[in-house]
Amino acid sequence: MSTEQEGAVQRTGSSPLDPISSQGRPLLGVGALLVVALFALALVSLLVGTGSSSATGAWHYLTGDPAARADPQLRLAVMDVRLPRTLAAALVGVCLGAAGCLLQAATRNPLAETGLLGVNSGAAFAVVLGLTFFRVHSSSAMLLCALLGAVAASSVVLLLAASGRAAGSPLRLVLAGSALGATFHGLTAYVLLGTQSTFDIYRYWTIGSLAGVKTADLLPLAPLAALALLTALGCARPLSALALGDDSARSLGHHPARVRLVVAVVVSVLSGCAVAVAGPIAFLGLLAPYAARTLSGARMTAQLVLSALIAADIMIVADVLARVVIRPWETPVSVLLALVGGPLLIWIARSPRLSTAGASA
Amino acid sequence: MTAPGTRPATEPTAHPAAHPAAEGDLAPPDSTVLRWRSLSWLFPRRGALVAALLLPLIVVVITLAVMASSSGMSLSQTVSGLLGTGDPGTVMVVRDFRLPRVFAGLMVGAALGVSGCLTQTLAGNPLATPDLLGVNEGATAVVVASAAGSATGMVGDWWLGPLGGVAAAVLVVLCAGGAGSRGYRVLVVGIGVSTFIGAVSDLVMSRQNDSTAGGVFLWAVGSLTGRDWGVGLPLLVALLFLVPLSLTAGHRLQLLRFDDDMAAGLGVDLRRVRAAALVLAVALAGIAVGVGGPIAFVALAAPVLAKRLSGPTRVPVVGSALTGAALIGAADALGRVVAPVELPVGVVTSVLGGPFLLWVLFRSDRPT
Repeated sequence: MSTEQEGAVQRTGSSPLDPISSQGRPLLGVGALLVVALFALALVSLLVGTGSSSATGAWHYLTGDPAARADPQLRLAVMDVRLPRTLAAALVGVCLGAAGCLLQAATRNPLAETGLLGVNSGAAFAVVLGLTFFRVHSSSAMLLCALLGAVAASSVVLLLAASGRAAGSPLRLVLAGSALGATFHGLTAYVLLGTQSTFDIYRYWTIGSLAGVKTADLLPLAPLAALALLTALGCARPLSALALGDDSARSLGHHPARVRLVVAVVVSVLSGCAVAVAGPIAFLGLLAPYAARTLSGARMTAQLVLSALIAADIMIVADVLARVVIRPWETPVSVLLALVGGPLLIWIARSPRLSTAGASA
Repeated sequence: MTAPGTRPATEPTAHPAAHPAAEGDLAPPDSTVLRWRSLSWLFPRRGALVAALLLPLIVVVITLAVMASSSGMSLSQTVSGLLGTGDPGTVMVVRDFRLPRVFAGLMVGAALGVSGCLTQTLAGNPLATPDLLGVNEGATAVVVASAAGSATGMVGDWWLGPLGGVAAAVLVVLCAGGAGSRGYRVLVVGIGVSTFIGAVSDLVMSRQNDSTAGGVFLWAVGSLTGRDWGVGLPLLVALLFLVPLSLTAGHRLQLLRFDDDMAAGLGVDLRRVRAAALVLAVALAGIAVGVGGPIAFVALAAPVLAKRLSGPTRVPVVGSALTGAALIGAADALGRVVAPVELPVGVVTSVLGGPFLLWVLFRSDRPT
């Protein structure tokens, strides 16, 4: 108890709007460490795989060894299989990490996660509809279905939350999101109970995997995600102001309802991209911001960047592990994510100096 | 300290100055103080009115739920069947087949409602439902294991569910090392543990054939098919113990809006209250999941609706129980009539519960 209270006192000592706090420099170090880790993990991800191509072969290929470059099998393994997966993992991680961080700050709810806007259940419903009624089978068609469903569901949630006099209230968004999410989830279950063949495909899609991702699928999503990320960074300062309460934010010249709306749009685009690439991965959007908040305290920009980096790192680790734990088969990445992330979240939540971080979001 | 903004409704709204109390006491505007010598009790007028209105609604739900079936039964037949005055065939159908199932559903709904009420109050967060304590995932894991372990791929006995749910919740509390401040640590650890357990079940499931997966999926959606008195009566006994305890705990939880020291000054050890509320929430959710499967959304919606009905300063334990029972009773009845095939109750609660919650919340269009 006493350590928790001490932590709370220490944190309130530095204002969330104070850019030069005593913790500034170590945070930069942590950020740099995470970036280095990202590149190192990406390299590992290019070297390790399920197939017969060895890590040394892949290394020779990457360093430009002419013999390795001439080997078509190596080229296939590294450039056509592992590279897209690595990029996809990083993209999904960055998207989910940033989206989760923004959503938790905007709803002031540390239990909020990216699925809350109905993104995941909307995408799942659209995929199930596509599979059942429109004979969608190719991966890019499923990706399109998922993206459309995600955007449609989150638009409905946003419209509902932004209507009426209580527009943009955090509680309204949280309840609208979980209510509609439940509805889409129920509709999905309804369709699935009727069609066994859809269920068989759905149960593999829903546990999420990066196997079979193609670079061509990622290209249209990358600029969208980049734009959303830039907007997210722009939202950091208004969001910090919102953490002081709506009235204080207003007196600082911000418009709470407008800020929340922009944030919600950004969140739905980011998590829509992620769900389109990797299926509904719910947990990372909760874990990464939680971890970031324990490192950064209340400073929003740092939180956002750290959250994105942490999520990208975790995602690549999970994807690499997914390829190796039960070789030669693949494990779904979301399962690995849960197996790695579950204990990690428990560890973070238990560490005494961090335990109030969740409640103070 | 708290998550500001997520719990504006729990802030005290009683303004003694604005409300000239009759006998000079400081009772909230929607309550009456009952005194008997040195004992006093704050009687929640509005909450009691809500309960009094919900009870007849539940009787209507019971009647409709017994009536609802593909074979068709008139209202007079249903009522005479319920009262035991109809022809023996109808009485048998009503009393031996329909009523037990409806009864079990109501009990499950009440348990989920109270459990959700406790966890939401504990965390001051409407997203804090008992599923976050690992109850659903634990129960599902055990059911998956029972299906994977049996030769036929059938889902095992119903009591396996609560066993798994309670085991998972115990694991959560052990990992969290106690209830913690505001119950947050337990919830976050709960998310970690339930994600982990869920992943293990997924892993087991992905190795199963499609018929096993389908059977488990049907269970995991939440269904009341074939529930009889053998399930409903033990559930009733459990509720008769757990709900009064929850009422006491809920009453004490109102002090959560103060910090631990002030609560101690008022004579309540909040840490013990939190731990007790947690145990009650787990026990209630565990038995509910065991009987009905992990029925979605009721544990979230019932307390939110009940709070809406019974006023902001209350911990609506009784209201949540009645709302939860009414929701599940109505959903189960609807699931049997709307489609040619019977819809599991979990599908109906989530498809219709969502819009219903939104309608109730947004109709009055006040800041929630």
